[in-house]
Amino acid sequence: MDMPEVFRSIHTGHAPETILRLVATGLFFFLLLLPLAGLSCDLIQAILNGSSDIMVPLLLTPRRLGLLGASIGLASAVAGAGIIIGILFMSALTTTRRNLLYGILLLLLALAGIPPYIHALTWSEAFHSAAAVFPGVPSTGWLISFWVELMALLPLSLFLSWIAFASVDTRLTDAGRIVRSDLQVLFSITLPLAAPALGAAFGFVFLICCTDYSVPSLFGADVYALDIFAQFSASNSPSQAFLYALPLLLVTLIVMIACRRGIRTLAQTPDWLPVRHGTPPYYPGWFLALQRGAAAMVIVQIGVLFTGLILAIQGPEALITSILMAQNELMFSLFTALLVIVISVPLAYAAAGELSRPGIRGAAAWTITLIPLAVPAPLIGIGMITAGNLPVLSAVYPGLIMPALVSVVRFAPFAAIVLFIQKRFIDPALFDAAAVFTRNRADTLTRISLPLYAPGLVVSAGILAALTLAELGATLIVSPPGHATITMRIYNYLHYGSSSDVAGLCMMVTVLTLAVSTGTILAIWALSRHFTTGTGKSGT
Amino acid sequence: MMTDRNTTIAIGIVLVLVLVLATAFVIPGQHGGEEKERIVVVYTSVDQVYSEPVFRAFENESGIRVLPAYDVEATKTTGLVNRLIAEKTRPQADVFWSGEFSQTIVLKNENVLAPYRSLSASDIPARFRDAEDTWTGFGGRARIFIVNTDLLSPDRYPDSVYDLLDEQYPGPSIGIAYPIFGTTATHAAALYSYLGKERAHDLFAAASKRNIRVVDGNSVVRDLVADGQMAFGLTDTDDACGAVESGKNVTIIIPDQKEDQMGTLVIPNTVALIRGAPHPAEAKIFMDYLLDRKRESALVDSGWIQIPVRDIPPSPCVNVTGIKTIPLPYEDTFNALQPAQKDLTEIFIR
Repeated sequence: MDMPEVFRSIHTGHAPETILRLVATGLFFFLLLLPLAGLSCDLIQAILNGSSDIMVPLLLTPRRLGLLGASIGLASAVAGAGIIIGILFMSALTTTRRNLLYGILLLLLALAGIPPYIHALTWSEAFHSAAAVFPGVPSTGWLISFWVELMALLPLSLFLSWIAFASVDTRLTDAGRIVRSDLQVLFSITLPLAAPALGAAFGFVFLICCTDYSVPSLFGADVYALDIFAQFSASNSPSQAFLYALPLLLVTLIVMIACRRGIRTLAQTPDWLPVRHGTPPYYPGWFLALQRGAAAMVIVQIGVLFTGLILAIQGPEALITSILMAQNELMFSLFTALLVIVISVPLAYAAAGELSRPGIRGAAAWTITLIPLAVPAPLIGIGMITAGNLPVLSAVYPGLIMPALVSVVRFAPFAAIVLFIQKRFIDPALFDAAAVFTRNRADTLTRISLPLYAPGLVVSAGILAALTLAELGATLIVSPPGHATITMRIYNYLHYGSSSDVAGLCMMVTVLTLAVSTGTILAIWALSRHFTTGTGKSGT
Repeated sequence: MMTDRNTTIAIGIVLVLVLVLATAFVIPGQHGGEEKERIVVVYTSVDQVYSEPVFRAFENESGIRVLPAYDVEATKTTGLVNRLIAEKTRPQADVFWSGEFSQTIVLKNENVLAPYRSLSASDIPARFRDAEDTWTGFGGRARIFIVNTDLLSPDRYPDSVYDLLDEQYPGPSIGIAYPIFGTTATHAAALYSYLGKERAHDLFAAASKRNIRVVDGNSVVRDLVADGQMAFGLTDTDDACGAVESGKNVTIIIPDQKEDQMGTLVIPNTVALIRGAPHPAEAKIFMDYLLDRKRESALVDSGWIQIPVRDIPPSPCVNVTGIKTIPLPYEDTFNALQPAQKDLTEIFIR
């Protein structure tokens, strides 16, 4: 009888890191499957109890098909436009100084940590003000929903587009510039090379947009995700809501698997923040106009957000009061975000290897990784509670770790995919060389592997922190009594109508994300400098 | 030696990470120091700004620490109630304090609640208490119109839910929250129960056909009317009073108050003891405190409730003297809730 690989490794005396990697990979997939197992238990119980309505969600009525089509259309348009703006904006930044690029990327990451609903509210105010000056400016409908969703997800779209651009080996584009115009190089070399990662970026943004109902519903556009919540609210049945979510899940899987095909073809050796040399690219006037248009949209988005927030804050005293009132929530949010990074990054690092595998095993790994991304957040929370009620997991729930675990389930897949992309970037010959020339495994890990993976680890940590800070639906379900996150506090103030407090807290989230991201990058930079001292640039 | 230093640093990093993880595991969610400190876990859908002062006052008076878990409007009533159902086999909460009644009845039907008759509730009329004592109602909010006084003159103020269909108001100038969630769903269920399914369906279908603005929640209705983006909308008294008290150009109209009209829905708060509560004694002390007459008065003063169920001065924000309510038992409204939600989903989410 075949022995599981982890036991076979122990039995045959495999290296400890192999066993560790297998355990971490197993834990990654176990955590991802945990809420699904909980929901499945609920579903089986409902079927055994003879629940008459349980199979109704599997019938796609014309209304639901229409909603699904509308959701796919909106998400495709938002993701497509976001990536196009990202391409134009990032192509304009190719010769930007490294420090400025750091600053822009950090700002984008910090803005991604603000819940999309807050972006939407500031835009709603902006449209209302614009309508006073220009009567006839629409305030509801699909066009407005598209615009606001695009603006809300623009920071993330730009950040992901940068990752795609960073995946391109600059030596290839530099070689192309010798014989072709910069525009031809962009369209014939850079974009085709970045296409797989751009596809993944499209998939991410599509996914987040597809599962969000808050922004469209604010502007009167109905999407499939709202229908899932309506059914959940009416039935109080997580299993039924899960079945309602299945079509969305299927669409998401198809999109992400299509993107995955592209990601797997990546085999380049880029630097995430390369030092650019040579003359700046020369683009024709029409393309420069497009680039400037994209830059203007980014500036408008940042301007509208901060203007809206600053106008809403009623003076520094009100700001300080709202911050002081939310101290506990702030500490809990930071603790949760840190915990999510601590748990997710090592597990995702291990699971990234599994995603590289060919055949059925790789496909299964991708499927399990992608499923939680399409399950509505409250269902993840309910599934985790159901699983946490099992005696073997009773130590976990209720506990401070639960809000972190639900964010791990929801967002660790992003980290795994980023690290999978990073893994594709690294020349395996470097590891072979390390195996020959380093003295022990700790040496290999600290001087070769970690510096090589550092950019992907930082990017993963940043995305995890931003998404965790903005998470609401699942965290609310599992937060231990007496503990709340800053986003929960923000939404509480929103209902109360305290726009000053909401604005103050959002500003604080932005500043803190900036501070934490900067601190993390500085720490990694300092560590990598330390590790590479005396050995040359071991990472590259 | 460099390698040794690197290894030491790597071990140091791992230790820090392990410490963070251990902290999360070792510090439990709610039972820390339980032997020394008495605690009560309260799940509440009441806005934090209103419920938190009540918890703090209770802590000061009783010495019992309150560990609250709050719901938010954005989760569309799918938050704490479903959490309580999921926790049924291993309850974590002691008390559920809701801003309305239908979700409490859901919990009763799911066998999540335990009976408890508080002595503090002896002066609360019987119609606000469950026959089996699994929940007790107190201080209510009413469903009302918030009207922008810059956009509508007094002679054009709406006075009935049927004004949602009045041609003198353009559809997009009228707002309601999605009638599938929260108190708007409860109000819709009351209409389905009182008017009958067909008439209620026709009312909402016609409103939808007129493109009235259906928004994300009652607070959004308030904000859009207060900002002048809509002429009037249907919301709760607490939301509307917030806008009135902050000096917005709005007024409150209680709909359907004429002799031939049905009245409006008044939604009481409800409080319930959780079956198998980890801290039942503390839970009962808290419920006694919350159901005390003085607390209802304090909640009127704070702006959370406007229509006390006892003989207490109501909120000055809105004149509710002799308010006419839809003549329905709460159970009837609840029984209409799920069919109404399903029907309204078909009408409004498409």
